[in-house]
Amino acid sequence: MTGAPMTAPVEAPVELPLAEGDPATEDFDVTDRPWIVIVWNDPVNLMSYVVFVLQKLFGHSREKATHLMLQVHHDGKAAVAEGTRAKAEADVARLHGHGLWATLEHPA
Amino acid sequence: MSRRFTRKGSVIRCTLSEPERELLRELPDQLRSLYASDDPDDAVTARLFPRAYLDPTEEAAEQEWIALVRPELLRSKLAALKLVVAALESASPNRRGQLVVNLGDDDVAAFLGVLNDARLALGTTIGVTDDLDLSELDPSDPESAAYAAYGWLTYLEGELVETLLGTMPG
Repeated sequence: MTGAPMTAPVEAPVELPLAEGDPATEDFDVTDRPWIVIVWNDPVNLMSYVVFVLQKLFGHSREKATHLMLQVHHDGKAAVAEGTRAKAEADVARLHGHGLWATLEHPA
Repeated sequence: MSRRFTRKGSVIRCTLSEPERELLRELPDQLRSLYASDDPDDAVTARLFPRAYLDPTEEAAEQEWIALVRPELLRSKLAALKLVVAALESASPNRRGQLVVNLGDDDVAAFLGVLNDARLALGTTIGVTDDLDLSELDPSDPESAAYAAYGWLTYLEGELVETLLGTMPG
């Protein structure tokens, strides 16, 4: 990502950041492992833009969205959501619709 | 010139010079032809329409996902191009000779999408890296014009995003 670093305070890294306020999906079998949605770092998207998109799509606070954006920037990627395969596919589609490089995967 | 995007109540006012309007007016046609490419090996196409699955064993799911999502994604991108063209063409001069158009929510989203896709496409073509420093442009570099255009689009998008973030919860 590019642009001046955001100045919002950074909290300690979270193992697997979840979309806040995202109710457990009804069709999700708790015995199954969730799919996770990854946003990857890229050299074009502005840091401020990534914060904006994460706030808009997942309803995150500025602080949470900034934390995730910085995780993407510094670690190369961040898990931004999880759930069923269908939900993860839908989230990836929304992220692609906003030009973010996102994929879904099923961690072992 | 002062800011290009300013908040005015429920709309965002876009203020451009005539040359700026002309430059922006070229983006929709360029993007439309890029969107029409269906070559998945083309770097720009791959960046504008990335894969959902990196895992090669999920190729069947990838193809299903593409069939499901791609047409809608394309429709929404093409709709954004139309909104941007309409907004740019309806901009009217103020007393200072600047072109002004008020953007509603859909227009704003369309502008943002067009600016971002144009930067993704241009940035991919010229091979932008995290270390890009636009202050060190070399005018004798054959790609310097592309870098300058990229820098200008980056400036515009940054200002629009800053204006939008000001409307969201901190």
